[in-house]
Amino acid sequence: MTVSKKTLAGLGSAVALASMTLGAGVAMAQEGELRGNVRVVIGSTSTGGDTYQNSTIVVDKLAEHLDLNMKVDAVGASSAFRTLDRDSRGNTLMIFHDQSYLGYLYGVEGYENIFEKYTVGPTVAINPGNAYLVPKDSPYETLDDIIAAVGDGEEVRVAIQPGGVSEIGFSALKNAISIEHPGMEDNLVAVNTGSQADKNQQLFDDQADLINGTVQANEQYTRLPEDDQKAMRFVWLTARQGTIEQAPEDGLGQTTREQLLEYVEPNVHVTMGDDETFTFDKEFFFLYNKDMDPGIVEQIDEALTEIYAEGEIQEVQKNSFFIPNFKPSEEASEYLHEKMSRYEGIIENIK
Amino acid sequence: MESGLSSLLSVSIDFETSHLFFPTIIHWVMAGLFVLILVTKVVPFLAAVKRGERTMPILGEPMDGFRFFGTLVLIVAYFYLMAVVGNLFPYTGYGFLFVSMAFVLLMSLMYMHEWTKKAVTIVVINAVVAPSLAWFILAKLFNITLP
Amino acid sequence: MEFLSLLDFTFFLLAAFGALVGIIFGAIPGMTATMAVAVCLPLTYALGLHHGLALLLGLYVGGISGGMVPAVLLNIPGTPSSITTTFDGYPMAQKGQGEKALRVSVIASVVGGLISAAVLFLFAPMLADFSIKFSYVEKFLIILLALSVIASLSSSMLVGIFSGVIGIWLSLIGDYSISDGGNGKTRLMFDFMEPYLFEGFSLLPVLIGIFGISTILLEAEKGVKSELSNERIQFGKGGGFSLSLFKGRLTNLVRSSFIGTFVGMLPGVGGSAASVLAYTQEKNLSKDSSQMGKGAPQGLIASESANNALTGGALIPLLSLGIPGDSTTAVLIGAFTLQGIQVGPLFIPENAETWYIMMTALVFANIVMFFLMFYAIKHIAKVVMVPKHILYPIIVMMCVVGAYAINYGIMFDVWTLLIFGILGYLVQKIGLEVAPLIIGFILGSQAEVYFVKSLESFGTFSIFFTKSPIAVVLWLLILASVAFSIVMSLKSRAKRRQELLS
Repeated sequence: MTVSKKTLAGLGSAVALASMTLGAGVAMAQEGELRGNVRVVIGSTSTGGDTYQNSTIVVDKLAEHLDLNMKVDAVGASSAFRTLDRDSRGNTLMIFHDQSYLGYLYGVEGYENIFEKYTVGPTVAINPGNAYLVPKDSPYETLDDIIAAVGDGEEVRVAIQPGGVSEIGFSALKNAISIEHPGMEDNLVAVNTGSQADKNQQLFDDQADLINGTVQANEQYTRLPEDDQKAMRFVWLTARQGTIEQAPEDGLGQTTREQLLEYVEPNVHVTMGDDETFTFDKEFFFLYNKDMDPGIVEQIDEALTEIYAEGEIQEVQKNSFFIPNFKPSEEASEYLHEKMSRYEGIIENIK
Repeated sequence: MESGLSSLLSVSIDFETSHLFFPTIIHWVMAGLFVLILVTKVVPFLAAVKRGERTMPILGEPMDGFRFFGTLVLIVAYFYLMAVVGNLFPYTGYGFLFVSMAFVLLMSLMYMHEWTKKAVTIVVINAVVAPSLAWFILAKLFNITLP
Repeated sequence: MEFLSLLDFTFFLLAAFGALVGIIFGAIPGMTATMAVAVCLPLTYALGLHHGLALLLGLYVGGISGGMVPAVLLNIPGTPSSITTTFDGYPMAQKGQGEKALRVSVIASVVGGLISAAVLFLFAPMLADFSIKFSYVEKFLIILLALSVIASLSSSMLVGIFSGVIGIWLSLIGDYSISDGGNGKTRLMFDFMEPYLFEGFSLLPVLIGIFGISTILLEAEKGVKSELSNERIQFGKGGGFSLSLFKGRLTNLVRSSFIGTFVGMLPGVGGSAASVLAYTQEKNLSKDSSQMGKGAPQGLIASESANNALTGGALIPLLSLGIPGDSTTAVLIGAFTLQGIQVGPLFIPENAETWYIMMTALVFANIVMFFLMFYAIKHIAKVVMVPKHILYPIIVMMCVVGAYAINYGIMFDVWTLLIFGILGYLVQKIGLEVAPLIIGFILGSQAEVYFVKSLESFGTFSIFFTKSPIAVVLWLLILASVAFSIVMSLKSRAKRRQELLS
């Protein structure tokens, strides 16, 4: 027994020693720059989703440009934040979207104020697809019909995934109703459910009148004949008009950009009070450990500026129905902070 | 009667506390079953132990303490050191590679009953080759993140 | 048949290569089909859509099939869906029939795979319309039906059910996930555990911990005596395999294949439920199921045909609703989005070529899988000839890799191995039963979501009985299943009493 323990201790220390010498060698590289292998964790566990897809596009270009080994890992929000917390060396970076602060605003466990706890890095792209749909044979033709109906005391059920990107449009709608028809907003009821499949299912089961969805996932459903139980119709895209205008002219599937523009502001008006219209673009951006060397922040900003100047990445993004949207760290941080405080107002209002 | 039954069956779940709804049911089911088992199985079993007809599990059984606890200690050390060493070389998989070599070697030696020269040689080669192969294929070829 | 011009040599080569790599991934404890598809996904960028799909479908079929190998030989399910394969496969291997067990499994697999491919090809859009008739209520009843196997699986019903409930309890630890529509709050734990257990224990590490690590602990306790892992396994003798094993098993084979396809088709219900459900039904419906769980080929047939039938089934909602049927197809969806192809209700009519290409790849991959495995079994089965002191450290190492990689690199998943390894050891020591516990764990969190969401929508318990004719049918099946296991346990008790008396 003693032998084995000694061997173990010996081996352990040998490994530790060897690693230290090697570690020192690695540390000799320039300060303030990315080095070694870099892992980019994302706030989603899906490798088939938009966060992963968008992150791989950006990270692949970045790795090529910086000549580094970089890899995207779909570990999910809570694990991604924790992994980022532990590594200030710049070997771990994170890419996520508006969920990162919306989760905090909605008080979801596991989310904290990203502007205090992390360094907010550059934005890279927008997914313009956040949408609301009704069954094709719905009595509601437009979002205005829904607002009016709720104002008249009709109950309208909306299937959403609670606590984030999927809920913000619902909250804005509720807020708009409370402004236009004070006291009636409680007739807009949230049906809390999960994935896109679950949300669609609520519509098929007639358990919801309106669902949150995306252009990408639901476009084909909008082209089904009306007598199909699965047929749906867009009533609202939350994106800014300017965002959709940048989409490829052919739009997505067989729905052209022209058609998509019918469902965004100013054609669809969801008020925030004071003549302001609510819009929501799902934007992807980097998050860094607060103690990470500012040199790295700069390095990534510079690299991305060059990549976006080349113009190739925009083509790739547009092909996958993303809208390129590069803003360097400082600008992005300010912009997103402002964005957050606008939504904070909405969420406070309807509490 | 009708309305009495339907009101008995009706339930309203508050979203804020809905995370506790199902666990509460499971707790009650578990408690009920536990009492049943206590009465029908555990009490007769303990009585049998008292009479000396049966022995307590784990405590009353013969055990190869060295190998059992050695395995536990090795595994704990393996998992712990892997993360520590891995942290020195972020995301290269070296933590896994080096610590696995040590682990495979020590565990093999511990489980081996007769230490012949040939057997030890095989064990050492295996301890070097197996982790290297796994590391090379997974971390290098398939680009899987390893500790 | 224009699509034929798109099939070239590379296409078939990639499908075959995919099947081979998939089998290897599936056969390594801890590596799954999902992981195989995920790591190869980036390759499809370069390959183009059709070649990429050939590779990925090969990986999918191979990965699901490969899971049987460690399930039979080492009692560790290679993928979660091969859990029921261990129930009969390992007892057979212990009796020296490992090779026979594998051959039965391979044949069942290929039949299941091909039947589901045929169903997919012929009925996909129709079945998709049927699958959306299943709302939370019906899905809950399906899970309940699968859970009812616990009663008949255990040697003492009371202990078995208790173990199953513990399994369910363990699966509830963590947050009531927002992505299932929950409120994202954690329960059943202390605050200090939150950083690690926020999302609860993940399935694969639990599975390989409770099967793999605890087996090693039990062996270590006994001193790892025999030099060979299992010297009783002798090849040739007692391992006689012939097609006559399938005599009278045709109903089982076809039924299980359809169950697998059907469960695969229901989004969210998930892969592992398929083989569990098929196993339950075989246990309930077959004339003689007394040997099941002790090494009966019929158990293998049910389990393996169902889990391979899953492949075709899970592709149904993917291709005709745009919704993945299981975790692997959820990764597969990435291959389409990467190429800018939309999946949804109009996928098949709008991409007829791709659709035929996928069917070709699926059928071809099944056939390649069959030949690769059937003729390699003799060599694969020799794994058990490797001395334990070599084999065990490698198993631990591979379990570590699998656990760490399953969620793309989380260290706590590795510790989960140890926690559940020790738990599995204790559970077996104090006489609780592992199989019901793990089935409870696999199905528990889904049971919760479907149960709570049903009540949230309808506000009354009576909805479970009155929702739809489908619900009524499911209740009848559940009642039959429970009644059957009660009758069985009474019978065996009477038999034991008789034996004692005589």
